[in-house]
Amino acid sequence: MVVPILLGITFLTFMLLRIGDQDPVAMIAGPMADEAAFAEIERELGLDRPFFVQFGIYVGKLATGDLGESWQSSERVADEIRNRLPASLELLLSAVLLGALVGVPVGLRSAQRPNKLFDQVSRFVSLFGFSVPTYWIALMAIFVFFFLLGWAPPPMGRLDLASFPPPDITGSYLVDSILTGDWATARVAAGQLALPVILFSIIVAAPIIKHTRAISLEVLGSDYVRYAKSQGLRPRTVRRIALRNSITPVLTFIGTELTGLLASVSLLELIFAWGGLGQWGLNAILTGDFAAVQGYVLVLALFSVVVFVVIDVLVLLLEPRATLRP
Amino acid sequence: MSLLEVSNLHTHFISHDLNNNLRVAKGLNGVTFDVDRGEVVGIVGETGAGKSLTAMSIMGLLQSPARIVEGSVRFDGSELVGLSTDELNRIRGTELTMIVQSPLTSLDPLSRVGKQLVRAQREHRNISQAEAWANGVQTMTTVGIPEPERRMRAWPHELSGGMAQRVLIALALINGPRLIIADEPTTGLDVTVQAQILDLLRDLVRDREMGAMIITHDLGVVAHYCTRICVMFAGSIIETGPVRQVFNDPRHPYTQALISSTPKRIAEKGYGQIGGPPPNLYALPAGCHYRDRCSRAADICHQSPPVQDVGGSQQARCHFATDTKTAAATVHHG
Amino acid sequence: MTEVASTPAPERGFTWSGRALGITRRSPTFAIGLIIVGIFAFVAIFADVISPFGPIETFPHQVLLPPSAAFWFGSDGNGMDMFSRVMHGARFGFGIAVPSAIIMLVIGVPLGLVAGYKGGMVDEIVLRSMDVLRSFPSIVLALAVVAATGQSLVNVVLVIGFLDAPIFTRLVRSEVLALRSSGFVDSAVASGNPTWRILFVHLLPNAIRGSTAMIAVRMAWAVRISATLAFIGVGIQAPTPEWGAMIRQGAEFIISGEWWVALFPGVALVGIVLGFNLLGDGLQDLLDPRRKATGK
Repeated sequence: MVVPILLGITFLTFMLLRIGDQDPVAMIAGPMADEAAFAEIERELGLDRPFFVQFGIYVGKLATGDLGESWQSSERVADEIRNRLPASLELLLSAVLLGALVGVPVGLRSAQRPNKLFDQVSRFVSLFGFSVPTYWIALMAIFVFFFLLGWAPPPMGRLDLASFPPPDITGSYLVDSILTGDWATARVAAGQLALPVILFSIIVAAPIIKHTRAISLEVLGSDYVRYAKSQGLRPRTVRRIALRNSITPVLTFIGTELTGLLASVSLLELIFAWGGLGQWGLNAILTGDFAAVQGYVLVLALFSVVVFVVIDVLVLLLEPRATLRP
Repeated sequence: MSLLEVSNLHTHFISHDLNNNLRVAKGLNGVTFDVDRGEVVGIVGETGAGKSLTAMSIMGLLQSPARIVEGSVRFDGSELVGLSTDELNRIRGTELTMIVQSPLTSLDPLSRVGKQLVRAQREHRNISQAEAWANGVQTMTTVGIPEPERRMRAWPHELSGGMAQRVLIALALINGPRLIIADEPTTGLDVTVQAQILDLLRDLVRDREMGAMIITHDLGVVAHYCTRICVMFAGSIIETGPVRQVFNDPRHPYTQALISSTPKRIAEKGYGQIGGPPPNLYALPAGCHYRDRCSRAADICHQSPPVQDVGGSQQARCHFATDTKTAAATVHHG
Repeated sequence: MTEVASTPAPERGFTWSGRALGITRRSPTFAIGLIIVGIFAFVAIFADVISPFGPIETFPHQVLLPPSAAFWFGSDGNGMDMFSRVMHGARFGFGIAVPSAIIMLVIGVPLGLVAGYKGGMVDEIVLRSMDVLRSFPSIVLALAVVAATGQSLVNVVLVIGFLDAPIFTRLVRSEVLALRSSGFVDSAVASGNPTWRILFVHLLPNAIRGSTAMIAVRMAWAVRISATLAFIGVGIQAPTPEWGAMIRQGAEFIISGEWWVALFPGVALVGIVLGFNLLGDGLQDLLDPRRKATGK
């Protein structure tokens, strides 16, 4: 089930790139090249072959883990991805954690007292989060917190000019510097992380609040909650029953949200010069770096798959009703 | 003093429509009846008559926009209407318990059966886990669940409909209630299981001197298992009395129509539409609510019919209730 | 002891103010959303009248001025009046939202109708292709396509419409399946209706009903994503007064403190997207009162 979808995505990307009017040959060759140079480059890039042959070669190389080379940087795509992915993940996962930690309780509380003040306010805030473009709020936040108040460091990436990255254990600068006891670097990394993570967590929290509320409302109106009340169970116990029954759907929802977030974090990476996968991928698309784009899209798709698998496993553990399907 | 005394209960659904007009659906219109120890009272009526609504109102389980607007419910002398949730919780699940229609969706999907039985006890009194567990096993045996020890560890979704209903009965019994309300306890169960469940209920009520209220649309159930019957229509009780008596000599035209249908027809279709469409609770006719469907409706029916005593503790809410001649003529035994 | 809660006598009757109040009461979100979208629509239509200057009229000696009496929203890096530009930007908002909504429906709904009605192989194919499309992170896909096919308004609209169509296919398809199982279709067939008639006269109105709220939400998304594309540098570009493009310009000036270039187009963007989202949310409240009724 998974492989066909991945293949389909790869194929679609392949096709889109080649029918577009971006011409990597021209870009690599430069303005001074002549006919012969064009032909040479084309042959080197393998672009002179028929479409399906190209695709076949690409998929074949994929099987060996060779994602090709970026025409922009001449680096191997696989390497570029490996270098940049941890940065994006660090940002993404921290924001999702924060967003969920705030969003889920708010959604739950809203459902418990629907249409009262707390609920109205949280729904409005959530809708706001839906409506605010990531990049714009980032710009505004930088203006206020960096330019005006000086609380945030300049948006120049994951570390400042004076610091060096810690040894690579997990890939996260923050975690690695803590693990190696390098508190100075840890502080810097945390400082750089603060603003983008907080901003992104707001974006993440908005749909979480909305759906947690909806799920919770459904649970609170269910047969078993009503029956629990009829048993004369304490309100606290009834709430606990409702809560436990809400967790699985909420978790599933967060998972589906997560799959799309790796792409939307790329905008934030652009603005904060984060050096992550998204920034690189966006750039690749704009410059027509075919191999890089393919690699980027593939990583996004694979990420979705991984997330779905993780969620499925979690559900299996939490839900007595879930069974393994062949 | 009866175990349960419901007096003049009015429950309304109050909302606003899109034109901002007030819309009031009168679900219960002056429901009055009693349940005594050792009695099994059957509440019958078509869909929408207000049977489940009565149970919900008694148990304090009404959800907005439904509200009790008038009336009283006395349980063993104490008034239930107006009690706080905490005060209600002292009675619910202990002395006054309920068995609901859909057992499989009513049990907490994330707790094993044993845990739910233990929880039902420990929420209400100080009892050790071990003792509560033992009680659970014993009650499971009482309600006829084989291999109770093993079943205590089962998840609700692993149970069959009949088994789940027995678990609900166990949950209803485990704290020694004085009154059980059973809301359509046999819906969705197959016929043999239905009989077993009802036999069980009847025996329990008899052995423990409890009171029971069985809500059903099935006259057969009432005939075999209840001692008294209350017939509901459009939110009021239009006839009540000992089961034998009411079946032999129904005094309200609606009851007459019900009883005169063959048991076979009732068993097949329930009785949704005897004599016409269900009443519109938003716009009930003035006077007798049944007059639009009644074959005997006359001018006097524009006035609210009084509750007439027909003798032998049978009562009917009809102007013509004491009219024995016409009554006998319309009843067919079948 | 009785609990007294008086039930006042219900009134009858339809008045415009009654209806407005009734709708607002049932869903204040809808009311607010409608007002907001209405304001933006007004601005879009009357942009020329409201704006003191033209949207690309430059004042070369008055570059990067903060908001003042002359330039209410300040002036940008090219010396153009921000206020006029923001007002005209509203046209792009609707100019993208409405056509893409139409395209989404034109592509998505018939596919959903056919898939749900025919079932079998056709259904499978449609579903699988929708799956592939859905697994694609939409921003990336939109970006890739627009970057590849050239930067124009038409392309942006087409791409967005195409990308969101699967959502409606899915919605319509499940409505059709539900209608099929309820015997609605069988009776139509039994009455001798030709297939196309069943599809368009019988099924279509019912199937669409469930999608109305989603249309508003997708329009919000359309505006958002087109602005995002413009911000990245794809699609519409300066000096066209599109809000996303304006924010892109403003980004350069944030660090140096000229906040107004990025702020006002952003506020406008947030406003219109919020308006559509409120509208969509509110429509859902109105059309599916069960959701709101639980625990009022």
